[in-house]
Amino acid sequence: MLRIKADYTKCTGCRQCEVICSLQHKENTINPKTSRIRVFMREDLFFPVIAGPYTDAECNARAFVTIGDREYDECWICRASCPVKPWFKEPDTEIPLKCDFCGEPPDPQCVKWCFQEALTLVEVPD
Amino acid sequence: MNGWVGNILRVNLTQGNYTVEELDPDIAKDYLGGGGLGVKFLYDEIDPTIDPLGPDNKLIFSVSSLVGTGSPTTCHCAVVSKSPLTGAIGRSIMGGYFGAELKYAGYDAIIVEGKSPEPVSLWIMDDDIQLKPAQHLWGKTIPETEDMIRAEIEDEWRARGTQRTHGEWIARETQIASVGPAGERLVRLAAILTDKGRAAARTGMGTVMGSKNLKAVVTRGTKPVMVADGEAFKQAALAIQEILKGNDLTGNRHPKYGTPIAPPLWNTWGVLPARHFQAGIFPTEAVDKIKGRSYRASILLRGKSCFSCGMGCGRLTRVAEEEFAGSGEGPEWESVALLGICCGVDNLAAIAKANYNCNELGIDTISAGNVIACAMELFEKGIITEKDVGFELRFGDPQAVVRLTREIGWREGFGDILAEGAYRMTEKYGHPEFFMGVKKLELPAFNVRAMKGMGLNLATANEGANHMRGPMQNLELIGAPVKLDPLQTEGKAEWVKKLQDSMAISDSIGLCGFLDWAPITDEHKAALLEAVTGEGYTVDNMLLAGERIWNLERLFNLRAGFTKKDDTLPKRMLEEPMPEGPGKGHVCELDQMLPEYYQLRGWDENGVPTLDKLTELGLEPI
Repeated sequence: MLRIKADYTKCTGCRQCEVICSLQHKENTINPKTSRIRVFMREDLFFPVIAGPYTDAECNARAFVTIGDREYDECWICRASCPVKPWFKEPDTEIPLKCDFCGEPPDPQCVKWCFQEALTLVEVPD
Repeated sequence: MNGWVGNILRVNLTQGNYTVEELDPDIAKDYLGGGGLGVKFLYDEIDPTIDPLGPDNKLIFSVSSLVGTGSPTTCHCAVVSKSPLTGAIGRSIMGGYFGAELKYAGYDAIIVEGKSPEPVSLWIMDDDIQLKPAQHLWGKTIPETEDMIRAEIEDEWRARGTQRTHGEWIARETQIASVGPAGERLVRLAAILTDKGRAAARTGMGTVMGSKNLKAVVTRGTKPVMVADGEAFKQAALAIQEILKGNDLTGNRHPKYGTPIAPPLWNTWGVLPARHFQAGIFPTEAVDKIKGRSYRASILLRGKSCFSCGMGCGRLTRVAEEEFAGSGEGPEWESVALLGICCGVDNLAAIAKANYNCNELGIDTISAGNVIACAMELFEKGIITEKDVGFELRFGDPQAVVRLTREIGWREGFGDILAEGAYRMTEKYGHPEFFMGVKKLELPAFNVRAMKGMGLNLATANEGANHMRGPMQNLELIGAPVKLDPLQTEGKAEWVKKLQDSMAISDSIGLCGFLDWAPITDEHKAALLEAVTGEGYTVDNMLLAGERIWNLERLFNLRAGFTKKDDTLPKRMLEEPMPEGPGKGHVCELDQMLPEYYQLRGWDENGVPTLDKLTELGLEPI
């Protein structure tokens, strides 16, 4: 099946993915705060995070994960639409948002617009 | 309105209040946004002869209909005011994310008036506008200021009882534009920076901000930006994106090396500002130490983008070497050229450190490098001595550049004199002929004896010696879209006018100048504008708007007291033949180009727009 691969080492934080995702899901309307992909930015880290499942409660412990040579607060890179952060929900109604690959078969606009090819569509085993 | 969000925020710092006004759609259409919109407001609202550091000056932040839409590279926030450095129209542009966030908060422009009795920050969080006390931020560097403001946001959300990390995200999404100690202390070279590393640097816009006791503008927005035709917009934007990706410069070398790809090419044409513009070439071994490849192998951490630009030419860097240790964004090419080559320095770590000083204290790196190099030449010629400077100031001394950038930012020691800019410094010491600049704005990295078209641009650009108003390097050095001979004056007037009007458009609609390296045409730009606004933009009315903006800036300067005499170049460029290199023996024959330039512009022999030209552009005579 086709899935989106996010290579954070290639991301430079342009955020066009955020813009085009919002436009794709609401005609003629651009608003990164309603995007189903957001780029987490901290110092020299640019980490695209794609909206995943909704949860109505935060995790009962905060974890840290190591990816490559860096340690991450799990909350930074977690895909959930969660009470703990303002991402992946409509700013006014708080309705949760989730990536839908821009339809079936997958035609993700974020992948199409990513200049650095940090986002790619890849085949993964079922 | 589409593209535009339709609101202007007018803030009166004297009274401590604000109003929200409607953006006039006709003005928006005729002046495009950004620099164009800013000069229109300034022209209509202030007397161009006022004291730029007084409360009657206005500081305008303006964006465009395209900013925030994800239009490729469209991120600009222009800052416009009367310049305390030049006395002419002052205008500078920040990249980064600030402009887009201002749109999401619901504003196309901010007009700041008056002067606050105490230091304040302007907070714009959607409809919630506040002037908050900023005494605790006064005296802080720009990175400290941003960190403290974000910490305040996190504290505020924690106090509201929200879950752990909510405030962290809000703080991270918040964009900040601030001045450092340089702006606070009215250093005439002061810049405004956003995200700690993108600067509205030239013409002292930070000085105006500091003079108003405005420390920072803080913004976050959750509102949408509408486009007229989403499908047409996507098509227009992707078409541009494809061209950028397919072009070797914009799609490969520029993302990889950033602006530091320049040094070897500039050296080949002999246009470097070596040792305060005394020479046009620099030793090859020295150039090799600072060029893109060496930069990438030494101090570069990774590339960084501005909003909606995939090229990511921003340089996030770190110097490990203890003597010059530091980190931040840049140095960009002009910073390397002025803080380095112009001062005879080829030590990239030291240049980076001087650049970090400028970022932290909020100083224009071009003007800073130029004024330091100027002082080095005055020292070399015995006009100033160790007694004036505090130490022996020599070309090629990396510690001197690091030290003096710091002194400029804090107005300490000799830096207090450098902080006035190179024009005032050379006047003070009785040798104005050593000022390398135009209209009191310090020259950027172009030894125009060997680059005549750029010479004409620098002589006529409305803010003074600003290379990006008419980026003739694209034609005379790089060859995009065509290659011209830099040593010829023939035909340059027409090209300079063309580029100036084209950049007036880019700087107003918010597009990055590097788009001109790939063949991005007027048609592409007009297509974007029309898809987003649906206002009836064509190539013709867009080009006319560019010319209108240029002429309005010119009228501002004329009213401020500038004349044809000010459309000139330093004596060195006009009269001292280039000593060596490809431009050997050359001077910049401005007098061979200027009359034709005036004619093509529709100005009289004194450089004053004729009534016919003004009528064509819909402008009133002075």
